[in-house]
Amino acid sequence: MLLRRAILLFVGALTALAQGRTQLDLDSFEKVWTTIRDKHWQVKPAGLDWQAIHDEYRPRVEKASTHDEARAVMQEMLGRLKQSHFAIIPAVVYSVLDDEPEGPGSTGIDARVLDGHAIVTSVDPGSPAEKLGVRPGWQIERAGGKDLKAVIDQARSNPAVHELQLTRAVLARLSGPIGGTLDATFLNSSGSKVNVSLSLTAPRGTFSSFGNLPAQAVFYENKRIGQTAYVRFNMFLDLPHVMMSFQQTIENCKACDGLIIDLRGNPGGIGGMAMGMAGFLVDKPNQRLGTMYLRDSTLNFVVNPRADVFSGPVAVLVDGSSASTSEIFAGGLKDLGRARLFGTHTAAAALPSAFERLPNGDGFQYAVANYISEGGQPLEGLGVTPDVAAELTRAALLAGHDAVIDAAVDWIKTDWIRRQKKP
Amino acid sequence: MNRRVFLCLLTAAAGFAADPLPSAESILDRYVQVTGGKAAYEKRKTEIAHGTVEYAAIGIKGSLTRYAAEPDKYYASLEIDGLGKVETGINGQVAWENSAILGPRVKTGVERAEAIREGNMNSSLNWRKLYPKVENTGIEIIGGEECYKVVMTPAEGQPMTGYYQKKSGLQVKLSTVSTTQMGDIPVEMIASDYKDFGGILEPSKVIQKAGPQEFTMTLERVEVNPVIPPEKFALPEEVRKLVEKAAAK
Repeated sequence: MLLRRAILLFVGALTALAQGRTQLDLDSFEKVWTTIRDKHWQVKPAGLDWQAIHDEYRPRVEKASTHDEARAVMQEMLGRLKQSHFAIIPAVVYSVLDDEPEGPGSTGIDARVLDGHAIVTSVDPGSPAEKLGVRPGWQIERAGGKDLKAVIDQARSNPAVHELQLTRAVLARLSGPIGGTLDATFLNSSGSKVNVSLSLTAPRGTFSSFGNLPAQAVFYENKRIGQTAYVRFNMFLDLPHVMMSFQQTIENCKACDGLIIDLRGNPGGIGGMAMGMAGFLVDKPNQRLGTMYLRDSTLNFVVNPRADVFSGPVAVLVDGSSASTSEIFAGGLKDLGRARLFGTHTAAAALPSAFERLPNGDGFQYAVANYISEGGQPLEGLGVTPDVAAELTRAALLAGHDAVIDAAVDWIKTDWIRRQKKP
Repeated sequence: MNRRVFLCLLTAAAGFAADPLPSAESILDRYVQVTGGKAAYEKRKTEIAHGTVEYAAIGIKGSLTRYAAEPDKYYASLEIDGLGKVETGINGQVAWENSAILGPRVKTGVERAEAIREGNMNSSLNWRKLYPKVENTGIEIIGGEECYKVVMTPAEGQPMTGYYQKKSGLQVKLSTVSTTQMGDIPVEMIASDYKDFGGILEPSKVIQKAGPQEFTMTLERVEVNPVIPPEKFALPEEVRKLVEKAAAK
């Protein structure tokens, strides 16, 4: 009798759990469906009868016997849009990506995932990492007690995860509270393991806030590589400082043989800055970088040529972590024939696509607008393809070379010689 | 008896249906009257208005200062936290904008025509000059109040629809499509909290929805007939260079 009661209790508990899971999946389905109904840039998303889509897919979610089945049904529904940046990301993957940095403290290391490993791509001058001898090209094995290779493999197990998210997941593990320390293990140039305890200090740049966004450290770097001006800024933020610095770069660059704008790792920011900066490079009036389509309006990303513009060759460097405003700027200048792009494919995240946690724990990604670059190419989901493919490699970084900068400098030199030969 | 009641109702309904809408002209003139009267407007030759702008959804605030002089001189400076300054102006001929984000530019075509209308200091009084065609198209309920819906069509540019309360004569809403360099953007403004600023009633709160953005403008104070040095309406250096560059081409 006791056993029978226990079995009944157990079965009852399982049934209750299953009902709870089903309800969470149904709530998640409703959230996904409603979000697209209310926020998609087309009133009739992708020309579909969205109510009919609801009526078709909800019974299938109700019938799903597992959480994975329910997710597959939702993913299939999103697939009907035939648009990128609509995805359901399993909870286990989402938790890896959603690992926010515990603080703004920085070791001074920038890193990318190259050939499946986290590789140091640059080290800020004077930073804790530089002082301890960490060099570009070193492979980061562990950081803060986490095996980075495992983090990378887990994130890459889902095809919806793109390089930008992967890079963020790695960089989040290289940060923490200012004043803290981070234990890390590297493989150095000779393949030896190096264990260091890195201090976490204020990140490079100046903290700048904009509206409700949390304050971000923004830096603007300006140097010369021979007669070529090189600029790099980590975000399209801190508008007064960055725009003024860019203007000064242009004013001081009248005799430069070219200009390199390095947007690798730049996740974007204030979209209007792309138009404002392009005005220093484009002399022809009535040009635009592209067009953004929202639900109730269409916005042309126009360029206002300045009185004095830089007329020399412009190289823009991009990678898979160049997103949003970076893509609008780079893609637009490429389409206008004003810049040559070097590097790797951009993040394909031109829009403020949002990520939200669903009631069942999965992540939901969706876009609220469409952006078409001036050449007719939608950037969202497709990104910008560089004119010249150039990749960072661990070997080149260890040898002190940035293959992407090298390619841009070579092109500018060649272009300069070509222009000198013109009658 | 029933027949008499029916006839009474029919007559009342017919009377109601036949109640003619007031002319658009009378509604616009009444607005001038209820906000201070023609004389009050005519007395105003210059003004400096001070206010704030808030984009609540994204947590951005700014301050707005607007200088105006009869008949068509205008300069406004909007300073937004984190974005810097956006200046706009009209010197009688050139309509321009100079923003920290987009740089300087000269407005042309329909956008210029719109800017010049907006820059007309006493536009409420001068509606006959600005809108060759005005039409009262009916009644609509705004905020629980009956409002006349007046469509004002300029010689150049998109028509504007103003909603004037039947009871008070005050304008409580304006809708139009604004021509900007980024495209035609639907704009809706809700005006409220009318206050006396130096003898003229003006809405101290305007909620403006322009495309995807919504912001609230608050008018705090207005300096009436101050001395404004002419250089305030002069073209900024960057804009002057653009005008010269365009002329040289």
